[in-house]
Amino acid sequence: MLDLFEILRRSEEGPYIEEKEFDKLVFRKAKELVKDYGIKFDRDNIIPTDNSLIKDIFEAGFKLALETGLYVIENRRVIKLSEEELKYEILNTPPEIIVGEGRDSRVLYARKIEDQRRPLIMGGQAGAPIPEEFYYEMAISYMKEPLIDFINHGGLARVRGIDVRTRSPAEALATIYELLYLRKAALATGRPGIHLLAGESSVSAIGDLAIQKPELIRKTDAHLVPILNDLKTDYDRLTKAFTFKIYGGFNVTLVDPVIGGFLGGPEGVAIGFIASFLLGRAIYGSDYHVIHPIHPKYVSTTAPECLWLLSVVSQAMAKFTNFILMGDVWTSNGAGSRNIFHEIVANTITVAVSGSHPLGVSATNGKYPNASGLETRFMAEIAIASTRLNREDANDIVKIFLKMYYPEKMEKPDVGKSFPELYDIKTITPRDWWYKLYQEALKEIENYGLKTRSL
Amino acid sequence: MESEIICNELRKFIELGEAERSYELAKKAIQLIEPVLIIKNCLIPAMHSVGEKFARLEIFLPEVMMAAEAFESAMKIIEPLIAQEQKQTLTMGKVVIATIQGDIHDLGKNIVAMMLRASGFEVYDLGRDVPPDTILRKALEVNADIIAVSALMSTSLPYIKDLLRLLHEKNLRSRFIVMVGGGAVTREWAREIGADGYGENFEEAVKVAMELIEKRRCRSGDY
Repeated sequence: MLDLFEILRRSEEGPYIEEKEFDKLVFRKAKELVKDYGIKFDRDNIIPTDNSLIKDIFEAGFKLALETGLYVIENRRVIKLSEEELKYEILNTPPEIIVGEGRDSRVLYARKIEDQRRPLIMGGQAGAPIPEEFYYEMAISYMKEPLIDFINHGGLARVRGIDVRTRSPAEALATIYELLYLRKAALATGRPGIHLLAGESSVSAIGDLAIQKPELIRKTDAHLVPILNDLKTDYDRLTKAFTFKIYGGFNVTLVDPVIGGFLGGPEGVAIGFIASFLLGRAIYGSDYHVIHPIHPKYVSTTAPECLWLLSVVSQAMAKFTNFILMGDVWTSNGAGSRNIFHEIVANTITVAVSGSHPLGVSATNGKYPNASGLETRFMAEIAIASTRLNREDANDIVKIFLKMYYPEKMEKPDVGKSFPELYDIKTITPRDWWYKLYQEALKEIENYGLKTRSL
Repeated sequence: MESEIICNELRKFIELGEAERSYELAKKAIQLIEPVLIIKNCLIPAMHSVGEKFARLEIFLPEVMMAAEAFESAMKIIEPLIAQEQKQTLTMGKVVIATIQGDIHDLGKNIVAMMLRASGFEVYDLGRDVPPDTILRKALEVNADIIAVSALMSTSLPYIKDLLRLLHEKNLRSRFIVMVGGGAVTREWAREIGADGYGENFEEAVKVAMELIEKRRCRSGDY
């Protein structure tokens, strides 16, 4: 990361450009680079083995970062970086970091393609508004899963019965309460030092600033700093990045472009991801990064275009950098449905084999709190089983599972049940019918040569 | 025959997003074709085709925006030649659209705005992080049929409730069709706050907008 004040200076004094013109620039450059490098999305090769494609995507992404820089919405200035500065970030990023505390700490490492090491599992219904009534119990359902290493749970949409508004006092209080519940759940499950990626209730910088104290978010924890679509930031994001860096915690770039936006189709979005991660490292000083492609119709990361993106971007970053990546697992279907397991299989294998750690499961795309620790246990089992797969075999399995849900089960998803219907809220254990569905899903995947630890 | 060639050319250049050439062709077209027919047979089909291509991800948002600009530039020539009552039959209706206050995520809203435009709506896009009273002011100013608002973050939802409350307080609720959408909005929540329509994605948003306009016109006896 460049010096904070150098970034700040560039954010105030960088070249001026109207936002519409910047959008056009991004579109034009991404289109040119995709054409120059001949990058093509191929739905038959969700997990490509063509290393030249991976190299082209990385190189094109690097050039895009150099050409566009990062746009600051408020003052219409661009934070530009030189080739040397971007290369410095690639060469000087550590391949691992220690996150969490004490015996709950983990070495979070940059995965490689077809990495046989155990992927680390980040669990929670990330990005979802969770009702306060069962936020704590739901958090426990993830923390009590031994395969889950880290927590990234959703935010609070209401706090003590009051709607949480962006930039309001309620936002600050909701973020404080979110951390209080998470801390309490960590203690209650005997994992007081578990690494949290938290502060999800904070949309502006207000909530984020309110929690920067050791009894809430620790220096061994992390928070998200999104790159706005496409290749943009704003004062709130920069404030979050700068203040948390000074506090001493881990910044995490969230990149979630919509396919069909200013970056264009999957090919343009692929290089946009690379550019965003490089800029996120240099400007936010991010310690790890979340890859989250959004489908314009289904949203979910389980659509074929999104799976391809998860794979090629993870592979490109794994091959040419030491950046640590978490691949999101966002499903259309909800916990309590059979379909969710099919989506999880395709998504998780793609992520783990291609060079990322899995993060999820955010069932129903985070719309409904229809999620629990159990389907994340399933995600963890699949991720660990994936370490025995090469890309060809993984691609074959992913395509089989993709056919089970795409497109019909994405067009009309089964949103499943809410957490209190899935779990006994007192004992915080899965209800029998839900556990039976989970066991059946484990048996089903065995037919495709995937051996999990539970079987 | 010549008129058919010009119409096809005009469709092609609109689809390609060539604003200047569309403008020039529109000038030629009005010499040969009745203005209303240029819109019905050349311009609107071009935008429908653009919408369909986007839905299939064959083209992307910037190309839809460029097509809309080309459409607008052709309209600059054609529109002044059309009588007011004819104009009303050509447009699906007026939409004021915005990403609500507290939310800066506008890409999904941009897509919906473009798709509505491609489907024949007159769209006033107010951008992102827009306060409810600004939206209402604009809706009154342009005499909108539909107010469409989106929110990706759940912390923006209270501002959508504010918009509904404001409409009720000013006795304007029945005057506008209110549509909601975006990542944080569910069908159930839309119903709960009393919105008239909800779009899970851009395709549903356009479909619902058309249905609601149709219903309103039937009720008001326009048909």
